[in-house]
Amino acid sequence: MNIMMVGVGGQGLVMTSGIIAEVARRAGYDVKTNDVIGLSQRGGRVWASIRFSNMVYSMNIPDGEADFLLALEPLEGYRYREMLKDDGIILMNKRIIYPSDVVFDKAEYPHDEIDKMLESYESYGLDANEVAQGFGNKMAANTVILGMLAKKLDIDKSIWEQVIKERVPGKAIEINQKSFDFGYDFV
Amino acid sequence: MLTGNEAIARGFYEAGGKMATSYPGSPTVQILEACKQYDDVYAEFSTNEKVALEVAIGGSFAGLRSMVSMKHVGMNIAADPLMTFTETPTNGGFLLITGDDPGLKSSQNEQDNRVFGKFANMPIVDPSDAQEAKDFTKFALEMSERYEAPFMLRITSRLCHARSVVKLDEAISTRKPVFEKDMKYAMIPPASVKAQYFMRDRLEALSQASQSFDLNKYEDKGSDVLIITSGITYNHLKEVNPDISILKLGFIYPLNEGLIRSYTDQYKSVIVIEEMMPFIENELKLMGIACEGKKYFSFTGELDARIIRNGLIDAGLIEGDKKKAGMTLETVNRLPLFCAGCPHRPIFDILKKSKAKMVIGDIGCYSLSILDPIDISNSIISMGATIGITKGIRKAMSLGQAEEPVVSVIGDGTFFHSGIPSFINLLHQQKDFENMTFLILDNRTTAMTGGQHNGGSGNFNEQDDLHVDIKALLETIGFKRVIEVDQFDYKASKKVINDEIAFNGLSIVIAKGQCALKYKTKKTPYYVDPEVCIGCKTCIKTNCPPLKMKTYEGINGLKSSIDPEMCVGCGVCAQVCPVGAIKLSEVK
Repeated sequence: MNIMMVGVGGQGLVMTSGIIAEVARRAGYDVKTNDVIGLSQRGGRVWASIRFSNMVYSMNIPDGEADFLLALEPLEGYRYREMLKDDGIILMNKRIIYPSDVVFDKAEYPHDEIDKMLESYESYGLDANEVAQGFGNKMAANTVILGMLAKKLDIDKSIWEQVIKERVPGKAIEINQKSFDFGYDFV
Repeated sequence: MLTGNEAIARGFYEAGGKMATSYPGSPTVQILEACKQYDDVYAEFSTNEKVALEVAIGGSFAGLRSMVSMKHVGMNIAADPLMTFTETPTNGGFLLITGDDPGLKSSQNEQDNRVFGKFANMPIVDPSDAQEAKDFTKFALEMSERYEAPFMLRITSRLCHARSVVKLDEAISTRKPVFEKDMKYAMIPPASVKAQYFMRDRLEALSQASQSFDLNKYEDKGSDVLIITSGITYNHLKEVNPDISILKLGFIYPLNEGLIRSYTDQYKSVIVIEEMMPFIENELKLMGIACEGKKYFSFTGELDARIIRNGLIDAGLIEGDKKKAGMTLETVNRLPLFCAGCPHRPIFDILKKSKAKMVIGDIGCYSLSILDPIDISNSIISMGATIGITKGIRKAMSLGQAEEPVVSVIGDGTFFHSGIPSFINLLHQQKDFENMTFLILDNRTTAMTGGQHNGGSGNFNEQDDLHVDIKALLETIGFKRVIEVDQFDYKASKKVINDEIAFNGLSIVIAKGQCALKYKTKKTPYYVDPEVCIGCKTCIKTNCPPLKMKTYEGINGLKSSIDPEMCVGCGVCAQVCPVGAIKLSEVK
């Protein structure tokens, strides 16, 4: 199973890829992940890969071999669409974070291309920030996406719930549980 | 599940390691951070890599298993003590971790530190996944103690941050007595002359012993060709899975000729696949073993499965069509930017609008100033280099090259790391009317690597114990014109900076404001009053994440806006706004 996660620096990719990896490990798989960490400033593009099966060698997903594209931001999902298999699935947080070039009118945000991409794949998208904020904290946005992924993967739901509970701050457990359930039921 | 970095820390702990030091630099930052979780381990981020190495040398001399970790370029700083320390025997096991960065993901160069290890007469191990990172760390510490040899573990950025499953073991308890006075620890002739033979014999003994080390992996496919590889490249190669025998080396220096020949003699030809320099290839060639490698595989960048496959096709070893890189689609770029509330933002906004055209940058978050849209720095070389380079440019200009103000920008972390000697040097042969302005961006943390402490962190953070006052230090050195500013007081800062750039002499401006990320700045957010906003984009040009132009209902034209979720309330945009359209939100 190849999961490609893409987003913007500061969105919490490292923590999120860590949760998926731990879930897969507990489900009995060999797992490798890759977090691309550049400069630690926020705002640049970042990606992570998670691969699991009986035996994994490289942590890198070959081009066009991703089963899932987890786009924590629409433009970043669009940027990495070529990583996806023809029958791959897109799970997207539709909350837009505008890059400087768009803010400075040097480029246009590719809204239409993103919509077309979503139409040409099995895809599920929602404003996860809004959902998580509704439960009390936008920081749980990625957990909404995890809920969506959990529904699509054949791993026991309780493993997901347990790992998330262990990994998020104590006071945020309930918000994350609700966010997870929302994503799970959305798909 | 551990990352390569965490696995090294775990291996150090399990091997009974007691003293871990480092200077933070991507990709190895996490090693020391992970060491701090083990109660019995003394762990410190030192002032720079040289000091970190020296502290760890002390640990080894005093009988503890010791480890120093650094990014590849850190070894340049640490080289002076290293090149002499390796002449002496270790007492407690000693391990140096170098985090190489093929592809320069977060570095200014791509130096291959395996060459450095050989240069320093160090045995080198090269793990291929997190499990091996842990196992090799333990192995290296044990062998270091047995052979009195300082070991190097070479890891690359990809593996540092990659997680995989690691089996944990119990920690052992081990320590040796403190070293006793002996000339073999004092490197002056004739002891240092004798040490040359000691180093040679020590490597020879390790080469012999390596025939029985269990670090290599051999996969016999009955092919005519043998591929020799090491490190993470092995796993990418396995992804390609060619029908060719593979010898994966774990102990990569010194190589034992008899051992290598026992494999290569069985094959018609040998291909070496390794990232960056032809290190193993050259070692083989020195033994007279015919092989090829860099002819087919790039000398720069990472060698992922696609690139390896293409190289094997070029070498005629597998069939198929070569593939181009297709990971990303051409679309709108997304450059990193300063965080909301970053204290660097107002400084660079001021600099961009100033008369300074010759700005020399340095290593830190503020390296971003070389990129669009700030785009103001002319040069970035290495930690602390801006001070000396600026002096050189100034002196050259005074020798008739050109006359214009020269501005140098350095962060507090870099100042403490290696800037201070260059500041002292400024006062040597200093003349009046040599216009140089030094901006020290004091955010009281080493921000770019994730907010580690430095010499001045204690002034902001009770948990830190270093309270160096940069202004007092510079005045003690002898600087007359040192001015502190609060950069969130935009107007005052702008006046001081512009005045100092205009001042025909040497001045230093210290901009003091805490890192928004490290100290989690979150104050009342600002908002744009669209009725007042004239849409001039002065605020937008500060390039702050929450700011963008938008259409308001019932108002003509695009006006600025602020995302209240992202705004941390630093107020810089409100201060640059010419019409007072940006206001503080009501406190809830």
